[in-house]
Amino acid sequence: MSRPPVRHLELPRMVQGHGETVWWGMVFLVTIETMVFASLILSYFYLKAGAPAWPPDGIAAPDLLLPTVNTFILLASVVPVAWADRGVRTGNTVAVRAGKMTGQALLVVFLVLKVVEYAGYDYDWATNAYGSIVWTTTGFHTAHVAVALIKSSVVLALSWKGYFNADRYLGVQANALYWYFVAGIWIPVYLTLYLSPWVL
Amino acid sequence: MTGRALAVSGMAVAVAGCGGAQSVFSPAGPGASRISDLAWILIVGTIVPAAVVIGLILYAVFRGRRGGGGPRVGDTRVILLGGAVFPALILLTFSALSARYSAEVAVPPSPPAFTIEVTGHQFWWEARYPDHGVVTANEIHVPVGQTVRLQLAASDVIHSFWVPRLHGKMDQTPGHTNVWWMQAAEPGVYRGQCAEFCGLQHALMAMLVIAQPAAEFDAWIARMRQPAPPPADPLLERGRQVFFEAGCAHCHAIQGSHVLRFTGSVGPDLTHLGSRRMLAAATIENSRELLRAFVVDPHVFKPGVRMPATRLPADQLDALIAYLATLQ
Amino acid sequence: MPPADPPLDARLASVWATGPGFYGWLTAVNHRAIGLRYIVTAFVFLLLGGLLALVMRLQLAGPELAVLTPGGYNQFFTMHGSTMMFLFAVPMLEGIGIYLTPLMIGTRDMAFPRLNAFGYWVYAIAGVTLYVAFLFGTAPDGGWFNYPPFSGPGYSPTAGIDFWVTMITFIEVAALVASVELIVTVFKQRAPGMSLNRLPLFVWAQLVMAFMIVFAMPPLMLVSVQLMLDRVIGTHFFNAAAGGDPLLWQHLFWIFGHPDVYIILLPALGIVSMIVPVAARRPMAGYTLVAVAIVALGFLSFGLWVHHMYATGLPVLGMNFFAAVGMMITIPSAVQIFAWLVTIWRGRIVMTAAFLHVVGFLVLLIMGGITGIMVSAPAFDWQVHDTYFVVAHFHYVIVGGALFPILAALYFWFPKMTGRMLGERLGRWSFWATFVGLHVLFFPMHILGFEGMPRRVYTYLAGLGWDGMNLTSTIGAFVMAAGILVFLVNVFVSLLFGARAGADPWGGNTLEWATSSPPPPYNFPTIPVVRGRDPLWDETAAERESWATSDPEHPRREVMVTTLLDAAPDHIDLLPGPTIWPLWAAVGAAIAFLGSMIHLLLVPLGALVATVAFVAWLWPPREEFPA
Repeated sequence: MSRPPVRHLELPRMVQGHGETVWWGMVFLVTIETMVFASLILSYFYLKAGAPAWPPDGIAAPDLLLPTVNTFILLASVVPVAWADRGVRTGNTVAVRAGKMTGQALLVVFLVLKVVEYAGYDYDWATNAYGSIVWTTTGFHTAHVAVALIKSSVVLALSWKGYFNADRYLGVQANALYWYFVAGIWIPVYLTLYLSPWVL
Repeated sequence: MTGRALAVSGMAVAVAGCGGAQSVFSPAGPGASRISDLAWILIVGTIVPAAVVIGLILYAVFRGRRGGGGPRVGDTRVILLGGAVFPALILLTFSALSARYSAEVAVPPSPPAFTIEVTGHQFWWEARYPDHGVVTANEIHVPVGQTVRLQLAASDVIHSFWVPRLHGKMDQTPGHTNVWWMQAAEPGVYRGQCAEFCGLQHALMAMLVIAQPAAEFDAWIARMRQPAPPPADPLLERGRQVFFEAGCAHCHAIQGSHVLRFTGSVGPDLTHLGSRRMLAAATIENSRELLRAFVVDPHVFKPGVRMPATRLPADQLDALIAYLATLQ
Repeated sequence: MPPADPPLDARLASVWATGPGFYGWLTAVNHRAIGLRYIVTAFVFLLLGGLLALVMRLQLAGPELAVLTPGGYNQFFTMHGSTMMFLFAVPMLEGIGIYLTPLMIGTRDMAFPRLNAFGYWVYAIAGVTLYVAFLFGTAPDGGWFNYPPFSGPGYSPTAGIDFWVTMITFIEVAALVASVELIVTVFKQRAPGMSLNRLPLFVWAQLVMAFMIVFAMPPLMLVSVQLMLDRVIGTHFFNAAAGGDPLLWQHLFWIFGHPDVYIILLPALGIVSMIVPVAARRPMAGYTLVAVAIVALGFLSFGLWVHHMYATGLPVLGMNFFAAVGMMITIPSAVQIFAWLVTIWRGRIVMTAAFLHVVGFLVLLIMGGITGIMVSAPAFDWQVHDTYFVVAHFHYVIVGGALFPILAALYFWFPKMTGRMLGERLGRWSFWATFVGLHVLFFPMHILGFEGMPRRVYTYLAGLGWDGMNLTSTIGAFVMAAGILVFLVNVFVSLLFGARAGADPWGGNTLEWATSSPPPPYNFPTIPVVRGRDPLWDETAAERESWATSDPEHPRREVMVTTLLDAAPDHIDLLPGPTIWPLWAAVGAAIAFLGSMIHLLLVPLGALVATVAFVAWLWPPREEFPA
């Protein structure tokens, strides 16, 4: 009686790209973080709904100039990172390094402007519930920007050591995905914290 | 620690119907009564199908007969009928009933005669009757057969106002005022308890709601509006002084021309302490001995309550208790 | 399956082995090792939580007793609830899932083995932290859901709540990590031919549970951090005087909390769907309906949370909506109950201790389920909310609906995990004591609730009519404890003297029974091909095709990755081996969080340790760099 065949590996080994386990893992990390931001935004509107005045008396609606400029800077940082993301798949190390570094530079500008913005607040997280939710939300996002900076530094270090090539680029992709998230989630945060007090 | 016997007022137990003093199934007012009706519908309406299903399962498990074979065509139908269609019909009915009963008991059955503001504190109930100019604590009187509006608030943490024989509960949350209602259909003494964990003495934060015929209620109101009488003899005057010097006035108010500085609001208003059936949020009987023991050290009865022990020489203590006893 | 090949097996075993000794134990990443750790640790917490409950029942055995002080009792009930909900139920079911899922889907480990190890360390640190705090007298004492303002800085100034928040945060991280892993593993590493409609129902349940965790835990993460911020740096999220709202806590907590109980229930339902077909000796009836019901439970459970807040003064119209959803969620559970009923009816039961626990589960779940229907009605709930009626309800559904399936699972898979059979006679004694004890303990609580006894009371006055039922409950608690004790004895006796188990002692249908008991470190020498829902019943071992994933002379830690829907073979992935970095990362995180209570400088220090550990963890091996 013949035994059934044991098939052997005609399969490729070690594939990169979308659909890989690490990429999926990053997708779920992004999902989890998005849920945290959603809960923050929910908290913001819940507290607002129960407040007689929002922002409360004594606090002006937020300044728009600096945050809006900063928004464009953050969104702009996506472009060089996308270039790095594309480039790595064809082994374009210039794209990877220049793209990441340009993106990082823009993040640094973002962070500096954030510090300037924070210094200009005349209320803090302990002033009232409005201060608490605003500072916590923006602080949480800024922390994400800082983490993106750190993560991309590690990826950059690996790139300088020649680790990435056309067959091995998952780290760059995963990092880029996180970057897109940090930039993208800023939009609902911006709309909530900065625009909604003026409009709603 | 609780070596002392805590005597529950016999009245609370005596008026109990088929259940005990706080029984949901001894309703004495329209709110609790309607809820009790719904409860019986839900209980019977769920137990019967549940018993049938459990019976089928036990029969199938223990019958020991040979069964067998692969999937059969009828399986999906049985599962859908038994697991989806039939329950859906029952549950839709329950949902509709629940919606109807809930909407009904959420609003007063008749326009409220007046309002009582009940504020929860750690670990006592402040009761104000703004329409009558009355302030009291832990013992709430209502006229029989009349709807009373309740405005429920909290001064510190979350509490919950619950008198099971009269109506369902409603939370008292800091920053919110919840409007609720209550109506007692029969005269009696109804015990209630705080129903949201609020700290060390949550367990013994109780109250009495006393429903009286209109005439008696009016008489009670009239007496409650009276300020405390000035001390009539030197012993009582001594007691009033002790009340101030020992620091009681920091927390407890007494209304009266002789006590302009007794306006504390941390603890219950004591103007009519003597007229209450129980002390310490409906935990101990109101007798001279127990009052004295409670004042000396409340923590023997209610460890963790916010009132400190009072160390006084015996003669000052006697005077104090004598004075408090006049606050009828 | 191909004939056994000892030299290949030995090479595979050495490649997949965990290192030796204590350091090997610290660096282990194998899913079965991690799964067993979760199971054992969670069981220890079950015992601790149960002991707490026994002392509580002693305190409540009669009116005005002094076994515990009020403050002590408040710590005990908070620790009991927190232990059972966070340190026992979810981790135990996760542990069973981590152990079984790769075996059931025919792969060798989970997608991120080091992350798996990290999750366990974080969980262990969480539990130890909480109990050390308890032993030093600073346990949390505001109930397992710690409502502010009581749990806020104004009314709970000591550190107990801070320890609780830390524990919660760590548990969430562990649960989220395990969930992401489960999802990715089930999506990517199933055996060839195991299309989604052939997934074992336990794996379906785990998958839906994992998605629920991803969506439900973040609100808890946020709200517990908000409480920490209120307590530590003076924010006002829950301080009404400054524009905050205590109800914000309740909403966010229960948006997590209600799905949480289904996170606990779903894997338990999945376990039952594995045991029933084997006990009935026929495939599960209504597989598709059950899978759909599991998914429906996952979705619907997010639409119920307001029923925990019926007494807070919300608009009745809104409450009626949530009430309707609450009633409707009975239906997916009922569908599963009927699917089991039909399977049993059409089959022929072989009674075992495992199946006996399943029968007990069915009775208890139905009883707990109907009280759930009752409390779903706002008017009814306005009387029984925060009373012992609710305590009865949730203990029936959680102890009956989760603990009994867990015990059943341990009876069922103990042979697979240890290579020995768990004693049948002791198993039946244990079942009856636990089952009867449970009823004696919890049934009177329904009546106590109707008689007006609120929850979370350290004592009650004589003369309210509550004495007899409380005493009965206490007796039941000890009977139930005896049942658990017998179970423990059974485990120890069986580990030492139990009958040896072969690969498939029950005549099972799924892939975990196709390998030895316990499985080798690599689970399967070749990856089996699956042709139906019951692989071991569809084909014999001799008929089954398989894939070799390794060069037989030089095997590595290879797993097969298949496509999402149809599980067609796609490529080979290499998994990492044992490493110490997950432990360091967990330690770093612990320094940061616990340090926030001691000195704020410890926070960046801990963050630094964690960052270095994560970088070292992810840094590629030397051979992957160009020369």
